[in-house]
Amino acid sequence: MEFNTGLVIDSFPLLLIGAGLTIEITAMSVGLGLIIGLFVGIARIGGNKILRLLANVYVDFFRGTPLLVQIFIVYFAVPVITGQRMDPFVAAVSACGINSGAYIAEIFRAGIESIEKGQMEAGRSLGLTWVQTMRYIIIPQAFKRVIPPLGNEFIALLKDSSLVSVIGFEELTRRGQLIIARTYGSLEIWLSVAVIYLAMTITISRFVAYLEKRYKIKEN
Amino acid sequence: MINIRGLHKYFGENHILKGIDLDIAEREVVVIIGPSGSGKSTLLRCMNYLEEPSEGAISVDGIVLDGEANVNKVRENVGMVFQRFNLFPHMTVLANIMLAPMKVKHIAASDAKQTAIDLLTRVGLADKADAYPDQLSGGQQQRVAIARALAMHPKVMLFDEPTSALDPEMVGEVLDVMRKLAKSGMTMAIVTHEMGFAREVGDRLLFVDDGRIIEQGPPKEIFENPKEERTKLFLSKVL
Repeated sequence: MEFNTGLVIDSFPLLLIGAGLTIEITAMSVGLGLIIGLFVGIARIGGNKILRLLANVYVDFFRGTPLLVQIFIVYFAVPVITGQRMDPFVAAVSACGINSGAYIAEIFRAGIESIEKGQMEAGRSLGLTWVQTMRYIIIPQAFKRVIPPLGNEFIALLKDSSLVSVIGFEELTRRGQLIIARTYGSLEIWLSVAVIYLAMTITISRFVAYLEKRYKIKEN
Repeated sequence: MINIRGLHKYFGENHILKGIDLDIAEREVVVIIGPSGSGKSTLLRCMNYLEEPSEGAISVDGIVLDGEANVNKVRENVGMVFQRFNLFPHMTVLANIMLAPMKVKHIAASDAKQTAIDLLTRVGLADKADAYPDQLSGGQQQRVAIARALAMHPKVMLFDEPTSALDPEMVGEVLDVMRKLAKSGMTMAIVTHEMGFAREVGDRLLFVDDGRIIEQGPPKEIFENPKEERTKLFLSKVL
C-alpha cells in the first residue's frame, strides 16, 4: 500500500470547490430551517388548535422519515406531480431546509418552554399581548438557551448534506466520488474529504462556543 | 372599582372557587388571608384574567372581563405584583419598567424613562437603574416589580403574596413601599401571610377558606373577635 500525496495535492482545489457548495447548501438550508422552525415551534405551543395539529404532523413526518428518502421525494417524486424537472440545488436546499426546520422547531419549542411561566404572566399582566410578550420577553431569553442545540443541528446538517450527492449535486462528497472514479484513489480522496468536513465542523463548534460565552457574559 | 359576582373556578375536577361575590371600592385596601390551597391566590388572579373564571362575572372599572379583546385593556389598569417578582432577567431595571408603557401605551422613550426614574426614586432604588435583576436582592427586586407595575399608572394594584419569597430581613422594605402606596390612595387587593401588616394597612380583611369568603370586615374586628369557627381556628394558628 502506498499513499499518493501528489493526488491529494492535485485534487484539493476541486474538493475545496465542493466544500464551498457544501457550505452554501448548509447555510441556505439552515436559513430556511430557522424560519420554518421558528414558526412551527411557536405553532406547537400556541393556542390555535389547527396550527398546532399541522405543526405536529410536520415535525412527526420530517423527523420520522429518513432525509435520504425526503431528498428522493423532492427530486424525483415532486416532478411527477408538477411535470417540471427539479434543479438539484433547489431540491437539495428544499429537502435539507424542510428537514432541518422540523428539528429546529423542536429546539425552539423546548427553549421557549424552558422559560419560567411567570415571565409570560408578568408580560401579560402589564397589558402586553401574547405576541409582544413572546417577542420582547420570551424569545430573547430562549434564544440564549437554544444556541448550543442549534449549533449541534448546524453541524448535523452540514454532515447530512453529503446525502444530496445521490441526486448528482456536486458538493464535497460527490466531488470526491467523481475524482475517485477517474483516479481510483479511494484512500487519499476519502481521507481528504473527511479532513475537510472535520475542518468545517470544528470551525462551527468553535464559533458556537464563542457565541455561548459572549451571551452568557451579557446576561449579567 | 372591582365587582365580582358568582365566581366559580375549576381546575379539572377540583372546585377551587365556590361562588365568590366581592366588591372593592375605589381607594379601598382589601387584604385576603386564608390557609394555603384555600383559593385566595386564584381569586386574585381572576381579577386580571390570568385565570379564566369557569362561571361568574368580573368587571374592573366598569369594563366586563369576557375575552381577549378587553382583557388587555383592563390589564393596563390593573398592576400585579407576584410572589416570585418575575422581573425580566435579560433587561436592566430601567428597561423592565419602560417596556410596557412604550409598547402598550406608545409613550415616548424619554417620557417613559423619566417616569421610570421617578418611580425608582419613590421605591428608593434610583441608583439601581442600570443594574440587572440578578444583581439585586430579593427585596430590591420586588420593589422594582412594584415600580414596573406602577409605571402603567394602574387604577388597581394586585399583590400575590409579595413577601413570601423574601428573606425575613427584606420583608420590611417591601411592606414600607406598599404602606406608602396605600396611603397615597391606591386601590389594592393583597394576598398575604403578614398579619401585622394586614391589620395595620387593610381597610377590610377577607378570610377565605375552601373556595369561599368565610368572614369579612375591618381587620381589627376580625383579629380580635372572629365570629366563624374556621376563622378562629386559622387565626389561632397564625397569630
